[in-house]
Amino acid sequence: MWSYALRRILSTIPTILVVITVCYLMLHLTPGGPFDSERKVSAAVLANLQAKYHLDMPLWKQYLYYLNNLLHGDLGASFRYADWSVNDLVARALPVSLSIGGISMIISIVIGVALGIVAALKQNSLVDYFVMLLGNVGSAFPSFVIGPVLILVFAIWVKWFPAGGWDEFSPKYMILPIVLLTFINVSTIGRVMRGSLIEVMNTNFIRTARAKGLPLRTIVMRHAIRPALLPVVSVLGPLAISSITAAIVTETVFSLPGIGKLIVNGAGNRDYTLVLGLVVLVTVLAVVLNLLVDLAYAILDPKIRY
Amino acid sequence: MKLSMKLIAGAVALGFAAMSGAAVVPAGVKLAAKQELIRNNGSEPESLDPALAESVGANNIARDLFEGLTANDAAGKIVPGVAESWKQTDPTTWVFKLRKNAMWSNGTPVTADDFVYGWQRFLDPKTASPYASTYGIFILNGLAITEGKKQPSELGIKAIDKYTLEVKTEGPVGFMADLVSNTQLGPVNKAAIEKFGKDWTKPGNLVGNGAYVLKDWQVNSKLVLEKNPKYWDAKAVVLNKVTYLPVEDGNTDVKLFQSGENDWVYQLPPGTYDQLKTEFPKDIRNAPMLGLRYYSFNNTDPLMKDIRVRKALSMVIDRDILASKVTADGQVPAYGVVVKGTAGADVTAYDWAKWPMAKRVAEAKKLLAQAGVKPGTKIKFSYNTSEYHKKMAIFAASEWKTKLGLDTEMENMEFKVLLKKRHDGDFQIARNGWVADYNDVTTFLTLVQCDSDQNDNKNCNKKGDELIKQASTTLDPVKRKTLMTQAAKVIMDDYPMLPLLQYTVPRLVKSYVGGYTKTNSMDRFRDKDLYIIQH
Repeated sequence: MWSYALRRILSTIPTILVVITVCYLMLHLTPGGPFDSERKVSAAVLANLQAKYHLDMPLWKQYLYYLNNLLHGDLGASFRYADWSVNDLVARALPVSLSIGGISMIISIVIGVALGIVAALKQNSLVDYFVMLLGNVGSAFPSFVIGPVLILVFAIWVKWFPAGGWDEFSPKYMILPIVLLTFINVSTIGRVMRGSLIEVMNTNFIRTARAKGLPLRTIVMRHAIRPALLPVVSVLGPLAISSITAAIVTETVFSLPGIGKLIVNGAGNRDYTLVLGLVVLVTVLAVVLNLLVDLAYAILDPKIRY
Repeated sequence: MKLSMKLIAGAVALGFAAMSGAAVVPAGVKLAAKQELIRNNGSEPESLDPALAESVGANNIARDLFEGLTANDAAGKIVPGVAESWKQTDPTTWVFKLRKNAMWSNGTPVTADDFVYGWQRFLDPKTASPYASTYGIFILNGLAITEGKKQPSELGIKAIDKYTLEVKTEGPVGFMADLVSNTQLGPVNKAAIEKFGKDWTKPGNLVGNGAYVLKDWQVNSKLVLEKNPKYWDAKAVVLNKVTYLPVEDGNTDVKLFQSGENDWVYQLPPGTYDQLKTEFPKDIRNAPMLGLRYYSFNNTDPLMKDIRVRKALSMVIDRDILASKVTADGQVPAYGVVVKGTAGADVTAYDWAKWPMAKRVAEAKKLLAQAGVKPGTKIKFSYNTSEYHKKMAIFAASEWKTKLGLDTEMENMEFKVLLKKRHDGDFQIARNGWVADYNDVTTFLTLVQCDSDQNDNKNCNKKGDELIKQASTTLDPVKRKTLMTQAAKVIMDDYPMLPLLQYTVPRLVKSYVGGYTKTNSMDRFRDKDLYIIQH
């Protein structure tokens, strides 16, 4: 398994290179540059700015310069946030996004799986309808609708939590964003778990277990849950990655200083280095998450061995 | 030259140490025990280095952390900063007397050398300040230094002694006191910059000379300032702590205000002014500022190069309806490049502005017919994606359609794309806007002057340019004003662009925030002028 993991990690290097190259070219092809602003800078000032940020070199040279820095772990200087390096910015924003995303992911798995099991076992009962309704609402309403509603109710009407902002991982600022992300994730996980467990419960081996007279609790916990979790695990990878992209909206709604905010500002401001740095980061995260998902398969399904 | 000495005497602007600009708390106002303000700044500052500050938000913070020779008070007046007094000793020389009690936040005195260093560094190509040419153009050799043709040491600034500063300008600069209130033209602490290098603006490293010091800075989250006990006027500073928020989303901003986590909404979301005015009658604030919303005509475009077409398009837009019904947030109709309140020129307007609309339309139709433009002709309008700009654009397009029969193709795009198209002249009509950098007519005239970097219309009126040149070398402020006004009129009679509205700043500021005024037309509120009323 370890050699498999190592091979997988090594095989991502070309992927990351391709992503960087494509992204690099796309950024430079996009009209408008980092120094275009309402007040047009004079030719002399533009030349000074470009020299400062090495944009006066030919594109291929800039690219190699960037790659060289990247190999040394340096993501470069930010254009938009002139006082900070991209490393600084990512180091400060990543823990914010990871804590919100990570905590919400764990809660979502626990609640989603539990709800899914209950709904599957009590198919067409009130509980089941509730889970399905929750699932549909969570999928149908975008986070930029649910988020402001949460703020209206819990920050403006009852004033339990602040409407937004961030203060050194203080829980009161984290709760509403976590609730929002959890709500969306639970709906997906719950639905998948429900469907998958219903299917498993109708398979031959479960019928055999029932015929042997095992109690339902044992059947579910010992025999059904592991195969039923496989599809859930499959969606966790994409779900975790979409939590990062969803952060673009949640972080705007709650004014959080996370990765999503940097992506939006970086792209809008043509902050080449910042955007590239974040793309590298998200690519690496995606690769790692997918690897974890694949490794989890081996634990859940004895047929899968690497 | 005989006249000049007398004129100089008239143009001398004197500042008095007694006239300090700090918070003036009216008698009878009870101050709150807790003097803390949370103020949204609209975006994350791009830098706290005053030489690199470009956005409104970054400059707001820079004015709290640093102080130039002069400053804006809350009412919008120029008041002494580090300089106690100043005078124009000859047409191109200004002498500033610095106060002896001005200190850096580390306790060392602020001297004339700090200004010399600050200005030279600001214009040094290595600093690459985005404002270098905007302000450098006025200072002797400033532009040449930015272009790398001269050394920073050749800049027209000299420390006569520890507390006397002499500034040489390229031509007469009557609005010098206004210009030097910008913190780009302020002092910076050489020792701190050399010690910390790129990190000199971080909390703990930053040494400033403003009323506040940097306590904490969390990117995209908040920036906290605390009262600077070493500031020369510290006893008049009331607010102890100021938190700047970088919230860009207007709706989030208002929600933070409603839930009590923000005292100051940067800008209201489009279309909410009336509703919020009813909901928060005590907190709503709105005042005109020195800024212009306009549309650029591409004067090199085959259709737009005909003045009759440009005139017709401008005439039929009903600015009154645009201001009262479309944007509906108190903005003021504009018919010239210079907005009300600008020093150094009068507002110009077109004669037809007073005509009834029917007559304007008839005239415009005639002009189009003369130009050979038939109803059904297509025109193309470009704007950057925003609800606000969209509303205005739809209104303009409907005016052109219903009154002139022209079909407008509306093209919305990302801001940076629009900027690129506008700067490259790759458009027919484009949304545009401008906010004054300093209170003088020249900041607006750059929008329509021949070959100006800011002239997106690519128009050129030789006579107007000649008048501006004449005015710029004139010492008599009255004559200068007449010439500048004439220039603005002559150029605008070419219809290079379509002025629409003068900006106002509709925002919510808690009623207990004292010191906020309606006359601060540059929208520059230093926190030293504000205070919290007991509530």
